[in-house]
Amino acid sequence: MIETLFEPLPVLCLGKCDPARTGLAWSVFLEAGHLRQATEILYRARYCLEDITAIDAEEGYLGVYHFDHMDQPGRVALRVLAAHDAARLPSIADIFQGAEWHERETTDFYGIVFDGNPNPVPLLLMPEMTVHPLQKEPGARAKLADVLAVGEIVRREPGFDLIPPQAAAGSGSTEA
Amino acid sequence: MRYEEMGLTEGDFYSRNFEKGARDDTLILNLGPQHPATHGVLRIIVEMDGEYVIRAEPVIGYLHRMHEKMAEGRQIYQYIPNMGRVDYGHALGWNWALVGAVERLAGFEVPERAEYIRVITTELNRITSHLLWWGAFTLDLGAITPIMYAFDDREQLLDILQIATGSRLTHSSLRIGGVCADINDRFIEACKAFIPHFRARLPMYRDLVTGNIILRKRLEGVGVFDADLLRRYGASGPVVRGSGIAYDIRKAEKLSVYDRFDWSVAVRSEGDSMARYLVRMDEMEQSLNIVEQALDSLPAGKVMMPKAPKVTWAVPKGESYFAFEGARGKVGIHLVSDGGKNPYKIKLRSPCFSNLSLFAEAAQGTLLADALAILGSLDLVIPEIDR
Repeated sequence: MIETLFEPLPVLCLGKCDPARTGLAWSVFLEAGHLRQATEILYRARYCLEDITAIDAEEGYLGVYHFDHMDQPGRVALRVLAAHDAARLPSIADIFQGAEWHERETTDFYGIVFDGNPNPVPLLLMPEMTVHPLQKEPGARAKLADVLAVGEIVRREPGFDLIPPQAAAGSGSTEA
Repeated sequence: MRYEEMGLTEGDFYSRNFEKGARDDTLILNLGPQHPATHGVLRIIVEMDGEYVIRAEPVIGYLHRMHEKMAEGRQIYQYIPNMGRVDYGHALGWNWALVGAVERLAGFEVPERAEYIRVITTELNRITSHLLWWGAFTLDLGAITPIMYAFDDREQLLDILQIATGSRLTHSSLRIGGVCADINDRFIEACKAFIPHFRARLPMYRDLVTGNIILRKRLEGVGVFDADLLRRYGASGPVVRGSGIAYDIRKAEKLSVYDRFDWSVAVRSEGDSMARYLVRMDEMEQSLNIVEQALDSLPAGKVMMPKAPKVTWAVPKGESYFAFEGARGKVGIHLVSDGGKNPYKIKLRSPCFSNLSLFAEAAQGTLLADALAILGSLDLVIPEIDR
């Protein structure tokens, strides 16, 4: 279903995952500029927003958006990279209103700014706090290719180098 | 009232933030954080036009303990007890989500007997959670007696669960690859005695409380949620099943051994607070059915997988997501591991967090009393929201 839904969308990397090993049906890497379009496609297809979080990795902050469908279950993970020194992503809170709180929490923990969030004040942490507790020490960050479940890649933008090309068809999490 | 213009420095950051954009003729009120009807330290700032709620904003974080940071600071085995503290209402649901995520990532298979024990204890835990919700909700609505009856049944269940799990409340009895200990005859006898006792209590609750005209007038037609609202906020659990959506992860994702039992997903179509109330009452009956059948068909065998991970075991590299149907909705664990001693990241997806986020939109234009009925019908446990 996602393959057809995202056909008109310029995705960076679309992978079909094994739900039994990863809990994901699809993993989709996107440019920040296409996040809202992808979200609108999911809204019209009646997906629900499960959560929004981030992974602090070597390459930057990876915003991770989990969606699932109540009639035809199959989890989709949208993945959008933001640079460490320019940690901004567009807000999707006008499409999925539940995103307001998830984005505010991600700002609390990682310091990522969500442009357009309707109420960008701290959600869980004190307004006086200046640290973002889940940011990693630079030496402790992992490479995204080592940790992410990217699935069997079915579409790939030529310039996309975050995930190396797959030698054989994988079906879930990368094995150590 | 423009506090700044008047030179007043009342309130705090959040009330001053809320007050921007308020009308001149309204009252801004704090519901909580200490309040008998907010089920924990929840604060809701409301703008009132007489008895009507014009605008509401929940302010959370009073019970925030940064569990996601704790996940990065300890080994996975040490993190299992955290799950009981995230949601003490349905601790086993969160336990299951965590060990499920780890087992999924590592490719572990849980022995059959352990699956049955997980199902039995988790469903009993679901009943205790719903009983607590029922007692507290009716208390919010002004009925002081049902909570006493609810807690009578609940106390018996907590004692039974203590035999199997070792705790009355903050259960940490699931393990990666199974459960911590086998159940004994005392537990089975106690369960078998409890089932008919509770079956006999439910009609009384129905006649005295559910069918009570005052309760019905308080709940029927109050807080109707449509499917679009529920999707936009990611609501789950009885909140969506009260609006006609038969989505229950135990069936949708064919979890564990649930498909071996004859039970149905509790659904109601009206979408109001009464529907959500009835869904939870039905769910208690369904959980009882599951427990009864599971006890009857309990297989023999081990309760831990062979070559189970030791306590210092580290999660292999990779990423997984596991969702479980907790008492309040979809509990999600997003686990990311770089193969190191401690998990790289664990995101705790709380059902109440998403369910509460729709309250601001749902409570607009309601009477304050109706707003509280809606709040109670969401079944909130604040430590799960704040984590």
